[in-house]
Amino acid sequence: MAEWVTLGPAAAVPEGEVTAFGVGQREVAVANVEGDLHAFDDTCTHQQCSLAEGELEGTTIECPCHGSQFDVVTGEAIGGPAVDPVGVFETKEEDGELKVLVDEE
Amino acid sequence: MTAFVVIGAGVAGATAAAKLREDGFDGDVVLIGAEEMAPYERPPLSKEYLRGESGHHFVRPPEWYAEHAIDVRFGSRAERVDVTGRVVELEGGERVPFDQVVIATGSRNRKPPIEGLDLPGVFNLRFASDADAIKQAAKEGSKAVMVGMGFIGAEVTASLRQLGLDVTVVEFFGTPLERVLGPTLGGAIEALHRDHGVEMIFRDGGERFEGNERFEALVTKEGRRIEGDLAVVGVGVEPVTDVAGEDIPVDNGIPVDATLKTSVDGVWAVGDVARHDHPVFGSIRVEHFDNALKMGEHVAKNLLGTPAVFDDAHWFWSDQYDANIQMAGFATEWDDMVVRGSIDERSFSAFLLKDRQLLSTFSMNRKFDVRRSMPLIASKAHPDREQLADPEFDLRQLHPPKE
Repeated sequence: MAEWVTLGPAAAVPEGEVTAFGVGQREVAVANVEGDLHAFDDTCTHQQCSLAEGELEGTTIECPCHGSQFDVVTGEAIGGPAVDPVGVFETKEEDGELKVLVDEE
Repeated sequence: MTAFVVIGAGVAGATAAAKLREDGFDGDVVLIGAEEMAPYERPPLSKEYLRGESGHHFVRPPEWYAEHAIDVRFGSRAERVDVTGRVVELEGGERVPFDQVVIATGSRNRKPPIEGLDLPGVFNLRFASDADAIKQAAKEGSKAVMVGMGFIGAEVTASLRQLGLDVTVVEFFGTPLERVLGPTLGGAIEALHRDHGVEMIFRDGGERFEGNERFEALVTKEGRRIEGDLAVVGVGVEPVTDVAGEDIPVDNGIPVDATLKTSVDGVWAVGDVARHDHPVFGSIRVEHFDNALKMGEHVAKNLLGTPAVFDDAHWFWSDQYDANIQMAGFATEWDDMVVRGSIDERSFSAFLLKDRQLLSTFSMNRKFDVRRSMPLIASKAHPDREQLADPEFDLRQLHPPKE
């Protein structure tokens, strides 16, 4: 069952930045693209590096280890050695807090 | 209908063929490759694949090509491009007509003049089947001799150590990768391997592999005798230009202009085999994965539209043990090197400059600097030494404004 999990204050992810949050057993990255928050699995599908440590350009996050690129909105692998997409999660801001909708593990 | 033929189904060729379809081309696309297996990426072969941690990384899923009406000829070797007849001649006599042809034949491993190269137990690494053979021979606790300490040698050495083998390296230069990185950065790689228990012999080379039916020892030029259960040779590669015949010029690979086109109309070259006229670095031939991928994508766009200059700043990675090594740009010589971070602590970037222009950035475990320096390299920037040396200084502040 999916549930909304609070990650922290909505201001925790400034515009143009990406931050990773621990959610249960996994890491969820949140990117702020011109004020819109996009949440995705922080673990690169190629070699398991943290995507939040990579560069965000528009809606593209680039893995810092081997240059795989993912669309932060769809999770699609769009460049570099990764083939499989990363999971994406719904986000919302509520009472100044940033929340993501994740499946319980 | 227009027919595009791609010779060579490594990363560059397979990407070019796939991109033609993905970018909307609906004419004939033929992809010819000497290997039977569907196109796969080679970087894992010296790393996670060799260690048994991953399977193959396919360029596209094996069934993708048929699903996208790409006429694949895997297990089929192209012998010659007949420029006048506009056909590619395959081994066995088949002739494949083309309107435009992309040569992506890659490179082959250099064979050093060492006696006994064909002895069982002496391995090379290029194909997945080579990695399989090494993996099978690499039993925990056995002893390996590595000849050559370039990137492949260094990665194979690291993987074999991680699999629990003893490894002795014989390298012609004074440090690993000295010819590419210079002695300081080569020394950092040396220290990494030494700390992981690798024995390294420098300024020596192989004279002959000895053994009764199977490899038992390497005798070096300096007269050392290094015993082992297996040996791996990694002393660099040379471009595969056989298909050029007499019609297409060859000079350290197949020369192409800035847009990846040869001097022969309708003939292009990409990947390891292409000697490219790069707008920043001049005439270079690059043997790295990312270049193959990007050139493959680029040539597809150029075939379908107005040819544009390929101006990628070049980038590659090398994972060794727990160290993530990356390098961007291209520098055969430099007159200044600025280091940020600590070489001893293995968290540093080294900026290589010539006449104050940043040509290349090398980093170990400092992931940000390399990618962030690429726009500077591409724009021929002359960054300030103090800013380069300051670990807190964000290189993005020096990026040229976006168009």
